[in-house]
Amino acid sequence: MGLRGHKTAVVSSGLAVRFLVALMGSTHVAFPSRWVRGIVIPAEGGQDGHATCANASYERTDLARRLTIQAKGVTSETRIVLYANEQRSRSFVVDKVVGLIDVERALIQPLPAQFRGGERERLLGLFVESSYIALIANPFWVLELPSQNNVLDVFALQVSERRPGEFDSRLRLPSSVLEATPVMSAGATK
Amino acid sequence: MLRAQLRRQSHTGMKGAAEARMQNMVVFSVGGQRLAARTDEIGGVMPWPGSTAVPSDTPFVTALVRQEKGCLPVFDLAAKFNRPMQDDEPLCLVVKHVEGPLAICIDSQVPSLHMVSRSAVQYRAGNDPDIAGTCIAGEEELPIINLTTLGVSSNRPA
Repeated sequence: MGLRGHKTAVVSSGLAVRFLVALMGSTHVAFPSRWVRGIVIPAEGGQDGHATCANASYERTDLARRLTIQAKGVTSETRIVLYANEQRSRSFVVDKVVGLIDVERALIQPLPAQFRGGERERLLGLFVESSYIALIANPFWVLELPSQNNVLDVFALQVSERRPGEFDSRLRLPSSVLEATPVMSAGATK
Repeated sequence: MLRAQLRRQSHTGMKGAAEARMQNMVVFSVGGQRLAARTDEIGGVMPWPGSTAVPSDTPFVTALVRQEKGCLPVFDLAAKFNRPMQDDEPLCLVVKHVEGPLAICIDSQVPSLHMVSRSAVQYRAGNDPDIAGTCIAGEEELPIINLTTLGVSSNRPA
């Protein structure tokens, strides 16, 4: 099941956000996928702390350390995610790419109020999948940019207006690794 | 008929007064540490569903558990009391916390309900705002834990 040409997941109505879900240590971390520019294997990641792809350079950030997650170390499933917006780009290591998932905006929960520390800046919220709970990384924090209000609304797409394949054309992911990245849906299709 | 009604009222009044002199407490244990809590602060008990770690800076709030379609934050009471959890089949105590439902991993021993005389309950402010005082339940003197405000005003270990 490749990413391009794959049937776009059908979500009932309203807004949805597409995430790239990755494992960091034993934690499922979800990144709004609109800013994912690519996923490469460590050998393609560059030696000087920069990954270069399609004439763009992505400075490496130790996201696991910043999130205070104990990463597993390099395995055959380790990948480097290239992440950028118009202002800034970063690359970071994840222990495994789980896949892409569309989540209805209404199913995204805020971090419970009992979490009162710096995690509120790092994590936007969470969603519950059948086999895991994914924590949503704040994409502005990932890129070391000042955060904004209502961040997820920036990434939400009107599902009813979306046509099959729309997401696929937005994601120009360069690595062949991505061809095997499955697309799933959460919520209404379950 | 009136006499019977008066007798009924008198009986109800006596029962009410007796109940007013008693307090319902739940006794449970965490890593072997036995604790008491007011019954009305507890939302339920269920098997421990397993937790998902959250990289958190908030002391003792470092995980989530699933509950129905959502999930609950977990307060690590064992860590607060510096007690290792060694139970293979722990239970999940759901607490009516002021900031929303909260889960606590407790020992597999099912919590017991105790009617405690108010004279056996001593509320006193100590160093730890999470501890309301002590009570004597079933010949044991136990700390009373403030479940509804757990972690709100104190982030220190017990």
